[in-house]
Amino acid sequence: MAFFHVQQLRKSFGGLTAIDKLDFQVEEKEIFSIIGPNGAGKSTIFNCINGLYRPEQGQIQFNGENLVGKRPDQIAKAGIARTFQNLELFAHMTTLDNIMLGRHLRMRASIGAILGLSFKRSKAAKEELTHRKKVEEIIDFLELESARDQFVSNLPYGKQKLVELGRALALEPDLLLLDEPAAGLTQEEREDMVFWIKDIRDLLGITVILIEHNMQMVQNISDRILAINFGKQITTGSPEEVLGHPEVIRAYLGEDITQAQ
Amino acid sequence: MRNLKTDYFEDLQLFKDGLQLFWSVVFLLLLFVLPFFVKTYYLTIINLMAVNVIVALGLNLLVGNTGQISLGHAGFVAIGAYTTVLLLKAGVPFIFALMASGAVTALFGILLGIPSLKLEGPYLAIATLAFGLAVTTVIGRMDFLGGRMGMNVPKIGLGWTGLKYDQSLYYLIVIITVLCIIATRNLLKSRIGRAFQAIRDSDIAASAIGIHLTKYKLYSFGISALFAGIAGSLWALYLGFINPTLFNFILSINFLVIIVLGGLGSITGSVMGAIVLTYLNLQLEDVVDIPVLGDLLLRFSETFMTTTGVSNVSWFLTGFILILIVLFEPLGLYGLWLRTKIYWKRWPF
Amino acid sequence: MLGQLIVSSLVVGSIYALLALAMSITYKASEVPNFSQGEMAMISTYMTFVMLSSFGLPFYSAMLITIAFAFLLGLLLEFLFLRRAKMPTPLNLIVITIGFQLMLYGLAGWKWGSEQRQINLPFSESKVIYQNDFFALTELNLATLAIAIVVLIVIYLLIQRTKLGLAMKACQQNINASKMNGISANRIMAITFGISSVVGAIAGVLVAPILTLDPSMMWDPLLKGFAAAVLGGMKSLHGVVIGGLLLGIVENLFGFYISIEFKSVVAFAIIVLVLYFKPSGLFDKHYLRKV
Repeated sequence: MAFFHVQQLRKSFGGLTAIDKLDFQVEEKEIFSIIGPNGAGKSTIFNCINGLYRPEQGQIQFNGENLVGKRPDQIAKAGIARTFQNLELFAHMTTLDNIMLGRHLRMRASIGAILGLSFKRSKAAKEELTHRKKVEEIIDFLELESARDQFVSNLPYGKQKLVELGRALALEPDLLLLDEPAAGLTQEEREDMVFWIKDIRDLLGITVILIEHNMQMVQNISDRILAINFGKQITTGSPEEVLGHPEVIRAYLGEDITQAQ
Repeated sequence: MRNLKTDYFEDLQLFKDGLQLFWSVVFLLLLFVLPFFVKTYYLTIINLMAVNVIVALGLNLLVGNTGQISLGHAGFVAIGAYTTVLLLKAGVPFIFALMASGAVTALFGILLGIPSLKLEGPYLAIATLAFGLAVTTVIGRMDFLGGRMGMNVPKIGLGWTGLKYDQSLYYLIVIITVLCIIATRNLLKSRIGRAFQAIRDSDIAASAIGIHLTKYKLYSFGISALFAGIAGSLWALYLGFINPTLFNFILSINFLVIIVLGGLGSITGSVMGAIVLTYLNLQLEDVVDIPVLGDLLLRFSETFMTTTGVSNVSWFLTGFILILIVLFEPLGLYGLWLRTKIYWKRWPF
Repeated sequence: MLGQLIVSSLVVGSIYALLALAMSITYKASEVPNFSQGEMAMISTYMTFVMLSSFGLPFYSAMLITIAFAFLLGLLLEFLFLRRAKMPTPLNLIVITIGFQLMLYGLAGWKWGSEQRQINLPFSESKVIYQNDFFALTELNLATLAIAIVVLIVIYLLIQRTKLGLAMKACQQNINASKMNGISANRIMAITFGISSVVGAIAGVLVAPILTLDPSMMWDPLLKGFAAAVLGGMKSLHGVVIGGLLLGIVENLFGFYISIEFKSVVAFAIIVLVLYFKPSGLFDKHYLRKV
């Protein structure tokens, strides 16, 4: 049984079918990319996996469970974390607090215990400090020390993206969904991001699915790629296979150029 | 020169540094010895302020920290007050009556939270408004709650402290208020407080990291109502007599004004807002008695307005001050306080 | 009896509809429910009273001046206060409107005291225009309904058929794009508030014969108007009108057949019930944010 299997997924909005008969599998510890022109339905896939949308048809099998119909917080509990295309940070909180929120599921303190938070010996304080240590490790990993106590709305875009990544990592997920991790980054930041994604898979053992437009990055880090257009799958395979596929080229570059070739 | 932090716990502890601890202790000592130096009248003013602080803390949790809205919080205060009075009449000791009132009000808070799950903005506002209205109307119709005539509040036995009744009441209220402040602070620094703020800032992201929106929104409403219930209980003791008209829409608006005036989402804001607005309301009640300005006002009223309606100036001034605060210091009094601190830190540059 | 009940429901409902419309016009533009709408209407109605009694003007001239006054009042609120907010979050703007409401209420009480005044509209309350077995229609009833309908039609035409209306719609949907297309968004916003104030003022004048003029005259009607707007869907102009009529009918039917005391509460309860199934009101579209 595959680690992660999207089966015959279909999602429409009124008369518009965003994705149809989508079927693909992801192996454990793979880096799997989804590519396609704008409006192809890529973020819709993530939103369906995540529980924000409910597909009309299809199943999403993960760890022996079907994720369809679950709420986003249940899916987070199942071990899937994500970042958002347009950044959904907690704007009025610091970097530290944003990432600490990623530890929410792993913390257990009840309301009663929390009342004793200011006392060093209390259960709540001890737990808070344990998780604080974990968050500091992530801050270290992503080199966000300088941003730790700043309000995230004051940070430059590149750092904000890292904060969102850090928050997702704080969940200690088995599967990480990255929605356009390279968008808006400088060349240098992109190169760093490539290393980080590889480290996330190699050092942390997390399986990664990413949506990306930057073909260099896609080529560089993907084990396999899924290309979609108009909500339907074009092809799946290794980077060489997919990026050389005539349909894929046509989807990105249009009819005329393909003919001219 | 402040020392650099060396321990993660320093972020959690109650007092940021020795200086804050010192001033807090001084302030608390002052509050403690006050009854022996001032007239009872001033104690009752502080009692009123304290009760407003408690409501403000709860409301601010809901509005400032969780991003919801409530135009009917007076309803929760009413539930707390009436529950306490009923229990006191039945002979229940006050401490249990207080806890029960809190619990009952919290339950109603959770009940009101249920429609909130799907509603936002003006839609939620109307739902909460409806709640506030329903509470007072229903109370007004129930004879065993005194109906529209209201009920007397039995005096509780505070004689065992050896102090006068008013002084004991003062201590009771102030101690509970301080406990509420500590509880709120701990709550905000904990995972639950963070979850509230996450819901306020982005409920989509909050959900995606595992926060069960329903559960936490209901928590927020429940805790917020709990505070209001406790405040209602204490307020009933303070007033000695309660009737439904006390808990009207104007009161709910008053609470909202306190937290916006003081500073949304901030505990200091809740406290400052409550103190200032209570004082303002009291002063403006007898606006003509203010020296100098009062006479000017009277003379102005004779020529351009009516003198019978001069008490309405308080409405005018409150409204005007509200607008000024929002216009010039949207972070409220807390914002002003922060600005002043930073200014003096940097002085003379 | 039922017939008469329906007539009075429609009359009250049309006043709620006007107030709901006034709130919706500004809500659509600014995302802020204007809590001072009622007080603005009240002060404008006092202006009518002053024109009629102190200056002895004929009714229609007084109305014209009132309309101009109401328009200016709306402009003032937007220009002087709302626009100047440093941090225009919805809650802050709501507080500004609440502040404005308190100011106007205080001003009215200060200037005119709390005695109830009479405004005499040229429509008689007792003269019956039409009568059949089921109901009787007084001159005032008919005038109220007619004026409300005229206002609704005028607003509809204004928004759908004029350049101004188009500009208003553009500003509501995307303020930055409007600015970039040469629309003076500030001016349009001010005008929007002015128009909504005029609608409210007309409602106030129509309410005065029924409730008699005093500073707290508009509290209950405004609350109902707000509730009606929420019921209909705050951003849907035709929705709020239907909401107003519905509220009037439900409230009066309940009040007559079941209980007068609880009629307000039940009206609100029904609205909350509707909201549970349709969180954005009956006619409004519920938008999901795209992530």
